[in-house]
Amino acid sequence: MKTIIEVRGATLQALFLIGFCIAMMVVDHRFQHLEIVRTNISLALSPLRYLVSLPATGGNWLNDWFTSHTELLEENESLKAEGRILSARLQKLEILAEENARLRNLLGSSRKIADEVIVAELLSVDQNPYSQLIEINKGSSDGVAMGHAVIDDFGIMGQVIHVNPQSATIILISDPEHAIPVQFIRSGTRSVAFGRGSTRQLELRYLPATADIMVDDELVTSGLGGRFPPDYPVARVTAISEDKVRGFVSVLAEPKARLDSSREVLVIKPRQ
Amino acid sequence: MSQLKYLVIYLSLLAALVLMILPLPDWVQIYRPNWIALTLIYWSMALPKRVGLWFAFFTGIILDTSLGTLLGQHTLPLLLIIYINLNLYQRIRVLALAQQAIYIFVLLLIDQVIVAWVEGILGRPTPLLTFFAAPFIGMLIWPWVFVILRDIRRKALLR
Repeated sequence: MKTIIEVRGATLQALFLIGFCIAMMVVDHRFQHLEIVRTNISLALSPLRYLVSLPATGGNWLNDWFTSHTELLEENESLKAEGRILSARLQKLEILAEENARLRNLLGSSRKIADEVIVAELLSVDQNPYSQLIEINKGSSDGVAMGHAVIDDFGIMGQVIHVNPQSATIILISDPEHAIPVQFIRSGTRSVAFGRGSTRQLELRYLPATADIMVDDELVTSGLGGRFPPDYPVARVTAISEDKVRGFVSVLAEPKARLDSSREVLVIKPRQ
Repeated sequence: MSQLKYLVIYLSLLAALVLMILPLPDWVQIYRPNWIALTLIYWSMALPKRVGLWFAFFTGIILDTSLGTLLGQHTLPLLLIIYINLNLYQRIRVLALAQQAIYIFVLLLIDQVIVAWVEGILGRPTPLLTFFAAPFIGMLIWPWVFVILRDIRRKALLR
């Protein structure tokens, strides 16, 4: 039988640990002190993560292995065609880049165009289903650091929030806790795009009713705040709703990046 | 050698962790039962002297790191349900599996609600109906978890 003292001991212990948990959550939410704990545990668990993502990787590998010769030929053909188109476009782009650099020189602006990037792949690891976090297979040993912007072939995906030596966690721009400074290409209006928890929607709140905004306007990063490099595509406006009473406009936009289906991503290292 | 047999506890928790982070299609995710909680409840019921609050604490921290949640977000509810379990296990152990399952449902629901509650505080409100899905599946799965872990425990001669 338990004695009263024993029961009290367990209760005290439970209360102490629960209190400790609450304190830990607050500290983890507000400060960075616990990052080291997280990093070390993540590091110890990284084999497990690779194990978990093995079925997906193995599936891809098997798929590649069993792709028939004709399919490969077809794919090769279409890739070559795509390559030709891309290189044709690139020529144009190079001319534009040169022209741009020349004009910038004329203006006396020192901004350079090329950014250094790290190519990374997603680890197939599910995290909290209610938040929009993804894991990539490059970490601090590859030069990834907290706050680096992450893009895919179509636009900005998010930014790095935790770094481990061999992996990193990315918060997507669609996470409700995330906001990204943006600019309308057409009108130059600046704003901030908030995530709404859905990978297909961002929201821009409290724009002045007089702002020049139309559906299908393109949004790019404005570079304000210093986190995201400027001029990367972010989203396209899909809906505009006016709050007549308060004189504000709020805008819904669809992210350019394929937040839910991209497998290869690029981490952008800010220029020093 | 006598310590080695306790390895099965860690291995079963590791397997549960893999099941927790195994990628699933989006629509199945809300039905994913809390494998860690199920496994921990089993062990704390079978070996309450060994698997107690500290055990729950460290398991929870590892779970939180793997899921990318706040440190403590899954730990707190785990501590709470293991605490409840440590007070009730003598009564629950003798019940039929189906009756135990209802108790498990309540524990899992407590866990789920606290996790969702913290999400809510962080500004990520969760739809109410999704609360019940995972604990319900957990309840249905409990008899199998129980039988499998009991067989493992007997094979490992843990008592």
